[in-house]
Amino acid sequence: MLLPQHNYLQPASLNECLMALQDAGEFGQIVAGGTDVIFNMRLKLFRPKTVVSIRRLTELMQVEELPDGSLRIGAACRLTDLAENPIINDRFPAFSESIRSVASTHIRNMATLGGNICLQTRCWFTNNSQQWRQGKESCFKTDGDICHVIKSSEKKCHAINNSDTPVALIALNAELTIQKSGAKRVLPIADFFNDDGIEFMKLCPDELVTHVTIPPCNDRLIFSKYAARKGIDFSIGSIAARCNGEGEQTDKVSLILGSLSTAPIKLTKAAEIIQTKGLTDGAIEQAADTVRGDLGEVTNLYSRAVYKKQIARVLVKRTLTHLKNM
Amino acid sequence: MAKQQISLTVNGDLYELLVSDQQTLLDIIRTEIGLTGTKRGCTTGACGVCTVHNADGEAVLSCLTHALEWDQESITTIEGLESDGELDAIQKAFVEYHALQCGFCTPGVVMSAKAVINKYPEPTEEQINAGMAGVLCRCTGHIKVKEAIRNTHKIRARDGVKGA
Repeated sequence: MLLPQHNYLQPASLNECLMALQDAGEFGQIVAGGTDVIFNMRLKLFRPKTVVSIRRLTELMQVEELPDGSLRIGAACRLTDLAENPIINDRFPAFSESIRSVASTHIRNMATLGGNICLQTRCWFTNNSQQWRQGKESCFKTDGDICHVIKSSEKKCHAINNSDTPVALIALNAELTIQKSGAKRVLPIADFFNDDGIEFMKLCPDELVTHVTIPPCNDRLIFSKYAARKGIDFSIGSIAARCNGEGEQTDKVSLILGSLSTAPIKLTKAAEIIQTKGLTDGAIEQAADTVRGDLGEVTNLYSRAVYKKQIARVLVKRTLTHLKNM
Repeated sequence: MAKQQISLTVNGDLYELLVSDQQTLLDIIRTEIGLTGTKRGCTTGACGVCTVHNADGEAVLSCLTHALEWDQESITTIEGLESDGELDAIQKAFVEYHALQCGFCTPGVVMSAKAVINKYPEPTEEQINAGMAGVLCRCTGHIKVKEAIRNTHKIRARDGVKGA
């Protein structure tokens, strides 16, 4: 079974790559590890005319500590290399945990950090072969006019943002460096995702995420993922929880939930409760109770939406309790 | 698109191949080179039967990577494990501990197990689980496979180091 027809380019430098992306325009597709791109090309969800490979761009494979104490990671670093990186393990163990939780060893041996951040959104209808999808009307993502997952008057694709590392990176206040030919911009990863399953990230076709910069972090931080099989599956729900202080005392909390909706969700109500009351058992219980209201529409991928909402509550309660004892 | 020439070392033999944009590494291993031990399974990254080793002896999925990407690289497939007719210690362990049933997934399972052994000669339970999570066996299950991996170092000590 051959891949759909396309032109495959292997630029030798970052500049050459950005030029190629500019030439390709909206019919271009970046590939690094290939674990998500080739999968989507087989399903005919991606129909690129040009595929530009960044797998050999050594400029994007560095992990360096900057003078201000932040850590800059190239987008083409393999997940295996990052999971084993002693600096990341030492300084950002929760981020390291989020990397190790991505798929299986085989996939992490190929997949890159940039690829995981830009992971295509998924849903139970589109993530099937074209022939399978023909059994039903086309949905928004497949150029149709309906959403099979959540039927409402709203014209919105509800495919899930299912990647794990952005959840930890948002809690770490990481920034993305995005380049295109002749221009460069820096964007907090918290602002990178849109609440839409199709245009799910703020990235133009000619742009490339080149680096991830993580500022120093001395706060307590935990990442946790819940999936049917820990070893390989996509998350049913994942969480990153961060707070300062020690024990029950804290006045800065951030809670990020992933894999429940079209974009990672920031839980403001729950965080506020903990900020004012501290990490007491009562406050944790109260914070967990507010989670359901903050979720919005939850897409039922890998399990029913009702179950996913319950899992979100459990994840919040569990991680906050864990933070308290850290 | 016109085909491009790549040179790829498979199990120590150098191949000069004409490859199109549309072919994956698995396609050329099976059809161009003719080594059909490496199997085509789910082609989505869930089953692991297409596992081969990269130059560093790590398990990668040949169905999810463009063949053109492997120009000037070196890979090992299941056919490359034995040397001079003698099986590798991991293969002997699979035979002795009866770690297969129908055998379809076995090339992928053995290559994944070998990658675990390459990294950790005497792996812990956790290391085995992490390394084998990417492969799926639907008939014999994973208990016997894990037993074989755990005991590979004993077989290697008994028979000496053989194979790639």
